[in-house]
Amino acid sequence: MLTLMKSGALLHKGALVLLLLLASLAPMRLAHAEYGDVIINNYADAAGMRPAVFPHWFHRIRFACKVCHADLGFKFKAGGNEINMVKIIDGQYCGACHNGNIAWSVENCDLCHTGKSGTPTQVHGSTVNSLVAPAGTAAPAQMQPAK
Amino acid sequence: MKTTPMLRTTLILTTALFAALFSSSYAADAPNGKALFDKTCAPCHLTGAAGAPKLGDSAAWAPRIKTGVAALFTSATKGKGVMPPRGGNAALTDDEIRAIVGYMVAQAGPAPKAEKADKPAVTAAPAAKAEAAAPKPVAAAAAAPAVAPVAAIPASGVNTFNRLMKPELKGNLPPPEDGAHDPVNDGTHSLQPPLTAFSTLSKSNTGNRVDWVKSLDEQSIKPRSDRNDPSVAPMVMDLNIIREVKGSMPDVVYPHKQHTQWLDCSNCHPAIFVPQKGANQISMASILLGQKCGVCHGKVAFPVSECRRCHSKSKPGAAAPEAKP
Repeated sequence: MLTLMKSGALLHKGALVLLLLLASLAPMRLAHAEYGDVIINNYADAAGMRPAVFPHWFHRIRFACKVCHADLGFKFKAGGNEINMVKIIDGQYCGACHNGNIAWSVENCDLCHTGKSGTPTQVHGSTVNSLVAPAGTAAPAQMQPAK
Repeated sequence: MKTTPMLRTTLILTTALFAALFSSSYAADAPNGKALFDKTCAPCHLTGAAGAPKLGDSAAWAPRIKTGVAALFTSATKGKGVMPPRGGNAALTDDEIRAIVGYMVAQAGPAPKAEKADKPAVTAAPAAKAEAAAPKPVAAAAAAPAVAPVAAIPASGVNTFNRLMKPELKGNLPPPEDGAHDPVNDGTHSLQPPLTAFSTLSKSNTGNRVDWVKSLDEQSIKPRSDRNDPSVAPMVMDLNIIREVKGSMPDVVYPHKQHTQWLDCSNCHPAIFVPQKGANQISMASILLGQKCGVCHGKVAFPVSECRRCHSKSKPGAAAPEAKP
């Protein structure tokens, strides 16, 4: 019992350290995009396109999470859906709405592909982003203009 | 006594210098009114799109000009109706906006032309002197506009000496200047700035600074549960799950209700949470690393820094000691 409690306390300490780390990282993040903006760069850079930026905030005003994440099969993982333009034009993923019917159609390339080239796939402002895979490439470059 | 007049002269000299500096810069800016207008304002104010008063339409402008140049300047900086703050181009400085307002007012009609065209210069001078003292030494031109949408007050100033006071966070910036979108891309400038959508929603201090759950309850947003049919209602289940946690944190109350308003059962069960009591090991560490609750919280749903929104049920015996710290 005692050891169990101890390990619990240790876990809490671990969490605290993680939280502190998180807090210390927070002001270092330099892009100020919206919380939950997803940058998707699975294929874009290689194809010479800007990465796509998906604004969660814009979509959740209009649709419940389940519409995309249950009905359309988007996994809860940035970059985990292997979306490409063929699938979209075929009516899958984004193409289920972005077909000129529910939302504007795929010929508006520059409305989705708006990210800065070279930005890795990530959920902007997520804890995973700051703890596991800091968006390294973009951060230092943006440091200078901010200061 | 002797130093005072000296100080005074230096003060006067500096003021004069500032004034000279400013007036020269304003003089340099003033003719830019047209160029700046063409760049930022023309798409709406030349065509009359979205009900914008057209350039040179004296009938449309007369009542607006009556409210005074200062009011026009405020509308231009803060936005009005569908017009976003600074016409959507947050890089415009106050001086530049004054120049644009001056230009547009001057174009509006023949009668008030001379008088009104003068006015912005007059009102601009004292106001801008105060500004010149504040933001100019602090930030280079590039850094200044980033502050604008959040607070007009030069943000970094007042409390920087106090490390315990958090700096004003920069958030809800329009896409071209949020650092993630590429401002070179044309489409970036067509995207809706978040603040124009958030103005009617319930506020919060974290995440998008929107309390999404409250906004949904208040029906300030009505997200569809079916992509085609707006009349489909979500399958809401009202069942609270209480998770007793170790340590001194209050227990966690998990409300199915607020989750099922957004989500389908299959989103969480059984892949993320086994629907069985005691079958799910959850820790803050795993949540921070994006598992369990962290699949959404800390990414899209409210961030994990809002401890008490989950840890909301005080432990039976712990009420007294918990209140202390």
